[in-house]
Amino acid sequence: MNGNEWIQTGLFLLRMLLPFLVILVAIRCFHSMKAGRRREEPVIVLENMVSKKVIPVLYWENSLGRSRSCDIVLSDMTASRDHAVLMRRESGWIVKDTESKSGTRVNGNTVPPEGKAVYPGDVITAGSTSLMLKRTSEASVKMPKRKILRAASPVGLMVWVTVIQLILLIQACFSSGEFSALPILPFCALFLIEWGLYYYSIHILDRVSFELETLGFLLSGISVMLLSGMRSELKKGEVAPDAFALIHSTMKETYVQVGALLLGVILFCFLIWFMNDLERVMKFRMAIAIGAILLFAANLVLAKESHGARNWIVIGPVSVQPSEFIKIAFIFVGASTLDRLQTARNLSGFLIFTGICLGCLFLMHDFGTACIFFVTFLVIAFMRSGSFRTLFLALSAAAFGAFLILQFRPYVLDRFKGWRHVWEYVNESQGYQQVRVLSYSASGGLFGLGIGNGKLGGGTSGNSVFAAESDLVFGMLNEELGIILSVWVVCILAAMVLYTRSEATKSRSTFYSICSCSAAAMLLFQACLNIFGSTDVLPLTGVTLPFISAGGSSMAAVWGLLAFLKACDERTYAARRVKKKKGGR
Amino acid sequence: MKTTGNRSLILYVLSIAFAAGLLFFLGEYILQGGQWAVQPFNRHISGGVSMTGQVLDRTGQVLSSSDENGRVYNQDASIRQATLHAVGDDAGYISSAAQYRYRSELAGYNLFTGLGSPFGNRTGSDVTLTLDAELCKTAYTAMNGKKGAVLLCNYETGEILCMVSTPTFDPANPPEDLLDNPEKYDGVYLNNALSGLYTPGSTFKIITSAAAIENIPDLESRRFQCNGSEIINGNKITCTAVHGDQSFQDALGNSCNIAFGELAVEVGEEAMMEKAQEMGFGQSYSVDGVSTAKSVYNVKGASEDALAWSGIGQYTDQVNPYHMLRIMCAIANDGTPVEPYTTKEITTSFGMTTYQGKTSYGEPLLSASTASKLKEAMRSNIRDYYGEGLFPGMQVCAKTGTGEVGEGKEPTGWIVGFSADTNTPFAFVAVVEEGGYGISSAGPVASAVMQQAVQKYGK
Repeated sequence: MNGNEWIQTGLFLLRMLLPFLVILVAIRCFHSMKAGRRREEPVIVLENMVSKKVIPVLYWENSLGRSRSCDIVLSDMTASRDHAVLMRRESGWIVKDTESKSGTRVNGNTVPPEGKAVYPGDVITAGSTSLMLKRTSEASVKMPKRKILRAASPVGLMVWVTVIQLILLIQACFSSGEFSALPILPFCALFLIEWGLYYYSIHILDRVSFELETLGFLLSGISVMLLSGMRSELKKGEVAPDAFALIHSTMKETYVQVGALLLGVILFCFLIWFMNDLERVMKFRMAIAIGAILLFAANLVLAKESHGARNWIVIGPVSVQPSEFIKIAFIFVGASTLDRLQTARNLSGFLIFTGICLGCLFLMHDFGTACIFFVTFLVIAFMRSGSFRTLFLALSAAAFGAFLILQFRPYVLDRFKGWRHVWEYVNESQGYQQVRVLSYSASGGLFGLGIGNGKLGGGTSGNSVFAAESDLVFGMLNEELGIILSVWVVCILAAMVLYTRSEATKSRSTFYSICSCSAAAMLLFQACLNIFGSTDVLPLTGVTLPFISAGGSSMAAVWGLLAFLKACDERTYAARRVKKKKGGR
Repeated sequence: MKTTGNRSLILYVLSIAFAAGLLFFLGEYILQGGQWAVQPFNRHISGGVSMTGQVLDRTGQVLSSSDENGRVYNQDASIRQATLHAVGDDAGYISSAAQYRYRSELAGYNLFTGLGSPFGNRTGSDVTLTLDAELCKTAYTAMNGKKGAVLLCNYETGEILCMVSTPTFDPANPPEDLLDNPEKYDGVYLNNALSGLYTPGSTFKIITSAAAIENIPDLESRRFQCNGSEIINGNKITCTAVHGDQSFQDALGNSCNIAFGELAVEVGEEAMMEKAQEMGFGQSYSVDGVSTAKSVYNVKGASEDALAWSGIGQYTDQVNPYHMLRIMCAIANDGTPVEPYTTKEITTSFGMTTYQGKTSYGEPLLSASTASKLKEAMRSNIRDYYGEGLFPGMQVCAKTGTGEVGEGKEPTGWIVGFSADTNTPFAFVAVVEEGGYGISSAGPVASAVMQQAVQKYGK
């Protein structure tokens, strides 16, 4: 074997190692998240003043009422079905009457509409039932036995992520058999962002968990290094970079991606801070909704059509896709705390907001994003109302809408003519991209041909298939890093959904639960549209693959969505308290 | 919070949909990845050197391989033309050929490394065929420019030693007007041995005989009168000669149209169709993944005279050469056909055999006693009527046929048969379009190939 063959063999062996490392880190992260979460044990207890029966309070927000679905069931005919809410806020426990018939009293005084703080020893009266708030230590309640799960050390996991990215760096530097130093700079930036956030959250904010961020960096790192093997076409007057050049204009897309990651991380931190105070969030909801609609309006006025959709605003050198950020606003507007859910049962406000969003997206011809908003709407609507009737009505309305569109705009169907028939349109727009994704995906095999060696992305030649790095990025990932890694990447997104679901009752408020469930659903559904669209399982709609696709707005917004998942983890806001219990650091 | 937790179960719907979609895609990827990868637009394999593996014959003779300029074919022009339909062309128009069917194997695609290689340079697998290039060349030369098909296989193992289809062209030097002149090169991309359909003429009398043996109990003691022609249902059935008074055996030896027309009518529409179906009419066979053309026998609602014509291989009868070879294998093997095949093995560049052709058997087409009676009758054909000169010392059982095609064209000449000697277990089918009498057109082709096969592969 000659020198190049040795290098190729070495790179191949490293690529074989990658999927194992990635799945290992992912499994350890999810395991750690599970290990670190609170067990099903009472936070505080209520003691019935008459029967002396002790009722454990399991959640941060608890509904009280006659209904069987309440967290604290009152067997009292004089109590309303959903009588009141007992919830934990930063200041302490609060009781709020949720429009009950007979009202709620604390120590004999009627609870005002804004709620009343309660302390151990206070008596809450709903209907003819009186309950005394007690600490768990004062009441004789059996604590369930703790099963100790060992959490992986956050620093260890981050080190592994860095190792994975180093392997990716080596792949990118030696792509197409020639050394190039260009990927080193994005790698360094990536390294600084990752460890910067790590230092900030663990050592400055004193948070105990870093798993979600680790997963986010794992995926974003794959994206940045994958892109760093790709060069845009040389423009007139540009000179090709030499082997040891550290910076070059053909790498612009990668630099944008790293910059977007930094913005995304900042957005992530800001949103977590913002969501800490739920009253503040609730106050700003209307403003967020109006802001989102104005942004859409600006988009419609300013945007020019490109590739069949008008979803970009170009301001000077920066181009932004507002719909990506409106996704975050959409979840803010849709989610709600338990006390508000109990009093405002109908969805009309959110329904109108959804209608406006979908309308704007249709005017922009952004069909894929409209689908994402609609599915997210279904998740939020169901989590708020629990009614299958709402789901059914929404789906019927959507079907009717689709029917109307096809009646008046039958040419829309032409775009989907190639679906499941792409091999009949190998060189036509209906199948061109999909058949190339399939062909190049298969060319990559299980472990890929190496970063920069793909023909879908074109590597250093600048000769890529249109939208390879965004809408078709799944194909690029398959071809260059192999199908196993690709499958792990999308499975991590699916695992996030399962994780948020299992976490839904553990969060500090239904607001966080609804936010995280809908954000995770949004991410997974978007991933589905991307990977199944580009591989002809579904019609191609042109949406990005979360964390992986190139695109500044997408990358930044995805980290914004990740903040919802992070906020759902009760340890995010309870970090210091936990540390104090342990006796400080 | 409890209700929120319960309602979050809706996320399972999404997760299940995701899992289903992913499994569907992965299933397609595993099953069709090879086809996806070897597309002409795939820039990993463009430039004519997409395939790096070789196609070999059973003796190890290289039929096609690759160098930096593209595909290179065997140095003998006759072998190139004789094996075109088995090996394939550059453009991949012959979809039944190895270069098309095994393009992903030849290109070196595998599920593990895709089109890549851990060591830099990709090398494809080699495909070895069961064919013998020299036998194919002999058959091609003996066809002497006529259109048609020749097949020869070992009826014990099923290996096809000779498969030639004409018209053909030289894949190394394709005629310049190949694409511009479709009429001149009509049928050049079709492998007639697997995909052709011909009027069987008297070779169909084998099927009529089988139906008669199984449906007419006193067939052996019957006498048939031939006056050169007969009127059935107001229509004249003609014979090649006046054969006079004959037994069944004589009638088959004389290939007497009168006798077989009468037999078909006596057996009747239903029983004739049933036997034809049992023997594989209306069925397509898969030969290493290539589907053969379906032979046709349909006398539903036909008049008596049409039924009579159908019994002597005219009317709407159409037979595929591979199907006929299969029938020969069945008669030679007591009624149970071996499945003839063409791919011997596929071996990767590092010597691992990924596919191995195997002997397999189909459902019986005939009962053992019918097979043995037909075998004896066909043996008598050569021994007592045509003479052993055509196939010296091979104990050949055979039947010739001359299928009238009308339109002022010469009839299609057939000879089908096998050697009853277990030291030379070969079955053959030769069809010559516009060849005239089967014995004079197809006979010499079969004779040449059989003699060479016996000499090379006889025990």
